[in-house]
Amino acid sequence: MSNIVDEKLRKIAKDLLESGEVSLIIGYGAGSSPRRTRPVFITDAKDAHKLSFNRHSVQDLAVFLKKAEVKKFSKIGILVKGCDEKAVNVLIQEYQVSRDNIKIIGVECNGVVRQNLADKGESSVSEATVYDKCLICGEHRPLIYDYLVETDEPELKLSGALKPYTKIEELDAMDPEERNEFWRKEFEKCIKCYACRQACPLCYCSRCIVEKNTPQWIDTSIEEPGNAQWNLIRAYHLSGRCISCGECERACPVNIPLMLINEKMARDVYNMFGYKSGQDTETKPVFGVFSEGDLNDFIK
Amino acid sequence: MIMKKEDINSNPDPRIIAFVCNWCTYSGADLAGTGRMKYSDNVRIIKLPCSGRIDPLFIVEAFKKGARGVLVSGCHPGDCHYTSGNYHSRRKYAAFRDLLGFLGIDLNRVEFSWISASEGNKWVSVVNEFTEKIKSLEDSSTDIFRK
Amino acid sequence: MARIGVFVCWCGSNIAGTVDVAKVAEEASKIPGVVCAVDYKYMCSDPGQNSLRKMIREQKLTGLVLAACSPHMHENTFRRAAVKEGLNPYFVEIANIREQVSWVHEDKERATQKAIDLTKMMVEKVKKDRPIEDVKVPLTKRALVIGGGIAGIQAALDTANGGVQVILVEKEPSIGGRMIQLDETFPTLDCSSCIMTPKMVEVRQHPNIKLYTYSEIEDISGYIGNFKIKIKKKTRSVLEKDCTGCGECWNACPMHKNVKSEFNADMSERTAIYVPFPQAVPLIPVLDRSACLHYKKGGKCQKCFDACGPKCIDFGLRDEIIEEEVGAIIAATGYDLMDNSLYGEYGYGKYKDVVSGLQFERLLSASGPTEGVIRRPSDGKTPQTIVFIQCVGSRDPEKGVPYCSKVCCMYTAKHAKLFAHKVRDSQSYVFYIDIRATGKGYEEFVRSAMEQDGAVYLRGRVSRIYEDNGKLIVKGADTLSGTQVEIAADMVVLATGVIPKKDSDRLARMLGISYDKYGFFTESHPKLRPTESSTAGIFLAGMAQGPRDIPESVVSGSAAASKVLGLFSKSEYEVEGTIANVNEATCVACFYCQRVCAYHAITGKEIKDRNGNIVKVVANVNPGLCTGCGACVSACFSKSIDVKGFMDDQIYAEIKSLGV
Repeated sequence: MSNIVDEKLRKIAKDLLESGEVSLIIGYGAGSSPRRTRPVFITDAKDAHKLSFNRHSVQDLAVFLKKAEVKKFSKIGILVKGCDEKAVNVLIQEYQVSRDNIKIIGVECNGVVRQNLADKGESSVSEATVYDKCLICGEHRPLIYDYLVETDEPELKLSGALKPYTKIEELDAMDPEERNEFWRKEFEKCIKCYACRQACPLCYCSRCIVEKNTPQWIDTSIEEPGNAQWNLIRAYHLSGRCISCGECERACPVNIPLMLINEKMARDVYNMFGYKSGQDTETKPVFGVFSEGDLNDFIK
Repeated sequence: MIMKKEDINSNPDPRIIAFVCNWCTYSGADLAGTGRMKYSDNVRIIKLPCSGRIDPLFIVEAFKKGARGVLVSGCHPGDCHYTSGNYHSRRKYAAFRDLLGFLGIDLNRVEFSWISASEGNKWVSVVNEFTEKIKSLEDSSTDIFRK
Repeated sequence: MARIGVFVCWCGSNIAGTVDVAKVAEEASKIPGVVCAVDYKYMCSDPGQNSLRKMIREQKLTGLVLAACSPHMHENTFRRAAVKEGLNPYFVEIANIREQVSWVHEDKERATQKAIDLTKMMVEKVKKDRPIEDVKVPLTKRALVIGGGIAGIQAALDTANGGVQVILVEKEPSIGGRMIQLDETFPTLDCSSCIMTPKMVEVRQHPNIKLYTYSEIEDISGYIGNFKIKIKKKTRSVLEKDCTGCGECWNACPMHKNVKSEFNADMSERTAIYVPFPQAVPLIPVLDRSACLHYKKGGKCQKCFDACGPKCIDFGLRDEIIEEEVGAIIAATGYDLMDNSLYGEYGYGKYKDVVSGLQFERLLSASGPTEGVIRRPSDGKTPQTIVFIQCVGSRDPEKGVPYCSKVCCMYTAKHAKLFAHKVRDSQSYVFYIDIRATGKGYEEFVRSAMEQDGAVYLRGRVSRIYEDNGKLIVKGADTLSGTQVEIAADMVVLATGVIPKKDSDRLARMLGISYDKYGFFTESHPKLRPTESSTAGIFLAGMAQGPRDIPESVVSGSAAASKVLGLFSKSEYEVEGTIANVNEATCVACFYCQRVCAYHAITGKEIKDRNGNIVKVVANVNPGLCTGCGACVSACFSKSIDVKGFMDDQIYAEIKSLGV
């Protein structure tokens, strides 16, 4: 597709590795089909040619920053799209990554193709083929980067006909009983595989609350109350933090629309506290601070 | 959808769990006692040092264990014994409450209040009104935290 | 295996009248782990406590539940009884079946059921109790006072008189602060320096006070009982131990026209080597290098050195960093005045005869630039008409600050009175919004300014001041008569609002104490702990907390001193053991706990392997600072922090016990 983008990427990676500025580059490489990419971990400048980025580079690579195998490398370069880069910002904000130890190689992105469509042969970028998050993307160009690779993809044209996450408004309009029914059916499907957690760049606890057994706040059996509680607590822990990369929903084997919850919380947090997650590395997290003038109407 | 009270399958004796801070609301509830004020007996108080300690997890757990109403109460803004515990909690409760609502919990079943150590009468009215409200709610459905 | 004893108190008929106490005991005895359950008429009585103690011995109890009155009544009574039998006091839990059951419910059956529920709940809690030891923190029994104004001086003297060593740090070359700049003080009109100078001398001579003037706090670390302080002692370029304060150096200094005197609020000049005022403590000059010819002209001028008898001027001296250890800190950094030039309509800075209240204070002072004769700056003539404008900057959310500066009403009345006393047949006008004179003798004082000394008070604001033919034309409104007034004045005095001392927010961050949006230090509790800061071991005094007058500053200085003396009266500082505790194995150091901790009790701790390599960083709780509020527990995603006495598994057990 775009050799210029790949060449630029490879040059940056090669230089970084050769100069010793980083000892590991996390990026995308060729996948099992032309319409898939997979993560590659490059430690030798000679392997820089394996790097590639295109409209099928879906995964948020920031997820690897939480892995012990990656943490072993003191200086890391990481390839990020605008959406993924926000995860890096949150990780820095929450002291999981040091800005000094990471080189952010930002790539401009005008949308990535839904994996399920790509697997059926789709390779065009249009509002009908990209992920919902791309339709409301405000960061085609990453907010923070050390190196930027500009895209030569055409701008994503939005007709306005497609409105992502419209289910949120639908759910908001329901009465509690109906909403409850909707989610009961969704959570019924949950098999507690925790793929959502594993795919999430911000679920970095070494011992997840669900694994704590004194007390066992969350049932580990796949029964409804525990399922609901698990999904609720995960959404709660991500409120004000989730950067909407959508990886949890993509990873869910039973297709629970998790992004509806995350997106709903992102909207509410913004409406209540004027806070958007992952915008920079300096702002204090929304639930680490308070204002005396915070919303008080719901309290008697 | 408004139903007549006699039409709905309400719970005449619902369990209500109240999570309260030690310094303000617990003392306010004590004051109601000292003043021999009478109020509904469905409520069971669990005392915490501060509303800052009242984790939203507790609310869910209470529902899981069969509570039909959960009351959370602490010191008024600015009066927190620990300076800012209630401010931090208020922010979390606001978000958590939205989340509960979005997942289909009837928000009538979760009540937040600020009750000071001198507000025995407020404790009484909050508990009474909340208990009446819970009793009036349709109780036939199973919500997502109950089997 | 838990061996729990349940004791159900009748409280005479207070409980037993509404609750079937025998049934509560009977039901309690069926709870697994409960080995005895009894009811008794008055558990808090001596026989009641004795029966409790006997049961602990005989039944080898590991935990107690008292179903009785509120824990706020007798929790400590029962804990003491348990301790006498060798039980950890935190193995006593109270089921509140009086204030929260028998006194508030009438249906005996339902009240009894509730009492049983609450008792069960506490049995489940006590089963999960773990022994808690109170934490003892060693105390370095020395105190640091920051700021040598009246509040700091009072705090230092009271602390030192209590037998505690005090380190007093003052930024300026002399102690005395703002008060020593004042002429006479309201409402008694006693001269400020007459009452202040002896106190300053007392500080200097006090065997328990170590005074660092012309010094600033560079760094503070540690916590209550154990603070480490770095003090930057700026060099005076004078060997202090040899200086006699004779004055030969400043008399010899050729630079006597170019530098404004800070002490005289820019109303006069000073030399490059100078003491700020004749009664300065210590009476040792400071060489202002920015103004000194020696430094400007490559070392040519050394007139002061030549004049100095003991040869104690050393142009090469450098700033020193001094380290001190203290157990408590009193922050009394005082205030500054707002910048009058914000009020262009009043012509401050444009018209020489528009001065600030502090400048007028210096004009009144016998030690001031005019030796106490009121002369206006422009031509040195004595004014006959002065307009005083109150609330310049105060109570003005748009251009200034919304708060009331508290002292201006009173000092303006004082200015008007002193003006009347010093200049015969003079006339003063005071523009005001409200008169706030709520102290002892204050209202009478303001009245006397009007009635005896003829000050004309006009309720309203001044819109504009301009110069015309040697007069300042003041245009304003008199809202009481509803008329516009125009006064031709010789001088205008602006009662400028007070703001926190410059850089006090930087100091607050160093101290780890909170401050409000204006920069005033905030109290731990505005009513009940007005002397404590938000950080244990750090106390507050004076205007650094907000506007207050001299007596209030003195009171707050004494209050802070009494807090320090109280803290130091014990051999160690004891903290309740109900504090937070980190599970280092699971903590991932996101530090949300630190963000929500109001007490700065959480820091990072490096976990190292055998070879000293850092394996990971985890949160660490400082027991001297933690108050056990538990905000950190709610903030922790992985539940790697818990608070003793209200542990997560206890709350879980309580909720579970209430399951229906």
